[in-house]
Amino acid sequence: MTHLDLLLLVALINLPVAWWLAGGATRRRLLALPYGLMLGMLLYMDPGATWDSGLSWVFLGQSLSWRLDGLGWFFALPTIGAALAAAAYSSGEWGEDFAGAGGSMGWLQLALAANVFAMLVLLAAGDLLTLFIGWELVSWAGLPLMVLAGGAAVGAGIRYITYAMGGGMAVLLGVVLVYVWTGSLVPADFMAVLPTLASWQVGLLVALFFGGFGVKMALLPFHLWQAPAYGLSVGPAAAFLGAISSRMGLFAMALVLVKFITLERLVDLTVIPGLLDSRDVLAWVAAFTIILPTYTALKQNDARLLLAWHGIGQGGYMVLGLVMGDAMGSAGGLLHVFNYATNQAVLLLAVFAVMHRTGTADLNRMGGLIVRMPLSFLALLIGIIGLAGLPPMNGFVSKWLVYRSLVLEGEPLLFLAAIIGTLGTILSVYKLIHNIFLGQLRVEHEDIREAPWSMTGPMLVLCAVIVVTGTMPGLVLGVVADAQQAIGLAVPDYHLGGVTSPAGGLDMLWLNGVIMAGFAVGAVLFYGFGGRTKRVHQLDNYAGGHFLTADVRYQYSDNFYPGLMHHIGGWYRGSFQWLEGALISVVDLLATALRGFYHQAQPAAWVLFTITLGFAWAVLP
Amino acid sequence: MSITELLLELVLMPIVAFVIGLFMVLMMRRIGARLQRRVGPPVFQPLYDIVKLYGKRTQVSHGLMHDIGIVMAVGGYVAAETLLPMPGMNGIAEKGGLIALLYVIMIPSLGLALGVGQCANPNGSIGISRALTAMLAYDIPFVIVIFGVAWHFGTTNLVEIIALQQAGGIATWGAVEMPLLAIAGLFGMQAMLGKQPFEIYVAPAEIATGPMVEMGGKYLGGLFVMQCFQLYTAAVLYVTLFLGGGENWLFFLIKIFAVVAIPMSIAFLFPRYRTEDLVGLLWKWPVMAALIGVALVM
Repeated sequence: MTHLDLLLLVALINLPVAWWLAGGATRRRLLALPYGLMLGMLLYMDPGATWDSGLSWVFLGQSLSWRLDGLGWFFALPTIGAALAAAAYSSGEWGEDFAGAGGSMGWLQLALAANVFAMLVLLAAGDLLTLFIGWELVSWAGLPLMVLAGGAAVGAGIRYITYAMGGGMAVLLGVVLVYVWTGSLVPADFMAVLPTLASWQVGLLVALFFGGFGVKMALLPFHLWQAPAYGLSVGPAAAFLGAISSRMGLFAMALVLVKFITLERLVDLTVIPGLLDSRDVLAWVAAFTIILPTYTALKQNDARLLLAWHGIGQGGYMVLGLVMGDAMGSAGGLLHVFNYATNQAVLLLAVFAVMHRTGTADLNRMGGLIVRMPLSFLALLIGIIGLAGLPPMNGFVSKWLVYRSLVLEGEPLLFLAAIIGTLGTILSVYKLIHNIFLGQLRVEHEDIREAPWSMTGPMLVLCAVIVVTGTMPGLVLGVVADAQQAIGLAVPDYHLGGVTSPAGGLDMLWLNGVIMAGFAVGAVLFYGFGGRTKRVHQLDNYAGGHFLTADVRYQYSDNFYPGLMHHIGGWYRGSFQWLEGALISVVDLLATALRGFYHQAQPAAWVLFTITLGFAWAVLP
Repeated sequence: MSITELLLELVLMPIVAFVIGLFMVLMMRRIGARLQRRVGPPVFQPLYDIVKLYGKRTQVSHGLMHDIGIVMAVGGYVAAETLLPMPGMNGIAEKGGLIALLYVIMIPSLGLALGVGQCANPNGSIGISRALTAMLAYDIPFVIVIFGVAWHFGTTNLVEIIALQQAGGIATWGAVEMPLLAIAGLFGMQAMLGKQPFEIYVAPAEIATGPMVEMGGKYLGGLFVMQCFQLYTAAVLYVTLFLGGGENWLFFLIKIFAVVAIPMSIAFLFPRYRTEDLVGLLWKWPVMAALIGVALVM
């Protein structure tokens, strides 16, 4: 049994183990243990090497197998890490309350374990068929996690699986076409034939795979399912799904489009002669995915949905960096998978910690919680700085690499799109932290306590990861380099603090060093000079001659950016919802017409006609 | 360069920036006074103001984040100054570059926003909402400018951008080779400094000075210090991108004071735009000029 087999076996055994552990309050304390073991096993495996499985399978004369290379290893790291954080978070008070409220901890932990196993199977895919098997496992495994909360979450889950099935069919068709056109599903074999295929054939494969994988990534226009499906789930499940689940789409894109088909071939596929090639199309899909969901997030009044919409937008940066294909851009795109996973996990865990205490995620029903939940505030603060891509957090490094690539590659409009996304994120996350933690503390929240250590602990550990990998990005860039090499991309000249480049590098050790030194100077100036500060009550406030009282709600929260909405408010027309509704109507109409047609005619005659046609198709040359 | 020399530069650069910033504040007040036919303040008035504010007996705090917000506002700019080359001192400009600088100077804004937020005064929050909207408005033309400059010079390294301009003389200055970008940059700078007609987030009569509504004593003093750094940073960034940086201290000072004088002079002649008008204006003319400017350099 190889190391990879052992890892997959532990992930598989964890399914019943997680179910069993979830069954008792004392046993629940150990929920994170299997993921800790898996993380240890993964870290033991060198990401620069290829780890083969002892399992092999012959299908249609093809020798099919599993192997974990640098790319799979890189995605496996945040997968197991996110599961570890989610399991630890749910192992204490949260789990007790969830079970006490009638929720099934067993199903939650079983579904979480199933997701990790399915994702590892996908990440270790050695050929297109095992990739498809893993893909379907991942698609279906996500559903139970989404619907656990019941109510609106069930509808969101059903919407998700409808999209996922459509995406899966596109991927399946792509796999079948590769087999029909190249005679093989084994990479070494079909990659030798792919260059000989006509442009329209490769173009069709690109469309099918990008569309299929894009559904999981929630790229435009297949993005509508994701925010409610992730955001309305229960806390740890939402954090896990939001952090890593949809990134499986990026893994598959990197493998199929970058490694198998290659970016050079994408550039050769002209869409509009002299103006647009297929790589440009992919980049622009990514750019619109950055902008539109980010500004949709800005409008949300539910903290969970706000973050979930940002998750879609952040995926755009990953795809954009990846398809730029140069050393910096692809490193940025891949690094953002890790950085985003840490940021989004901590953000969702913090929001659910607040929800755990206040019972609401409505941004118009909170405020001033910084004085009651300081650790959760700190976690959210670090998370939003990372998500917005500001120094000194890790999100800055990955976005910097993407920006840098776009500048050097001469892509002004894509660069502008990326920055517009970042600016929108800054506005949105400020609204998030302001409406939850800043401003007026409501009377009903006066007696709220900080979330328990079982919840704040995982959040603070993730915060430490964000800060450390923001200061020393080289720790992750090494693994990113292995992933880049695994798919045949150039690797940036990296070091512990960042990257070096003749056209301008980045050293976060120095940058964060001077930022911290600057804060130290600011602190000395503030605390070392001037009179002593006197803390006043929140109602001791300038109110233009009026007296404030606790029963007056004066928090500024609703329609937070009216000046901006004056300009962009009209853009929120729900065009994509309209498109989705129109598509559903068309399918519904067709189904009704066919059903009516079938009932009107002789059913037996139609069956005979169909069978005859089928035979004719099979027999005739 | 030895590590000792580098550390010395890192200490000196913010101090020099602050001193120059004080004189920029003085110049700003003097320009206003001249335009309004007043005498204007004495030379050391900006320094007196800071000492006075820090020395006030009543220092009202609305909580830890209120305090830390001021620390971040000042500290962020202290860090930013080490990324901006000045004559004879490059600090860590080569370890960060243009894009990193752009993001480091957002840290003070974030600090201020967090600090104001904890004050629990809706006027302050409305001010921050407007300030962030303004940031979105002016940063869009400004990042197009940043792109154009980086593409034109083939680097994001500020030291190299200066060297390339100085090697070719005035004819190779960014303002000469990229005049449209220079104009768009000037537009953006006016808004970035929050000067009229783009100071809607302060609006004293409407929202009681917005972000400053709960700031008194050393909190306001900290913001005063921040303003000194902000003026210096904007001016040096513009000179670095478009006016060949500082060949020596004399030219450097002339250039940065001249650059700051432009928005200051304009500020005292214009009334205030509403937020939506500000956004509309910044998304129209400077964006158009910057996009044409980028098209011309590519």
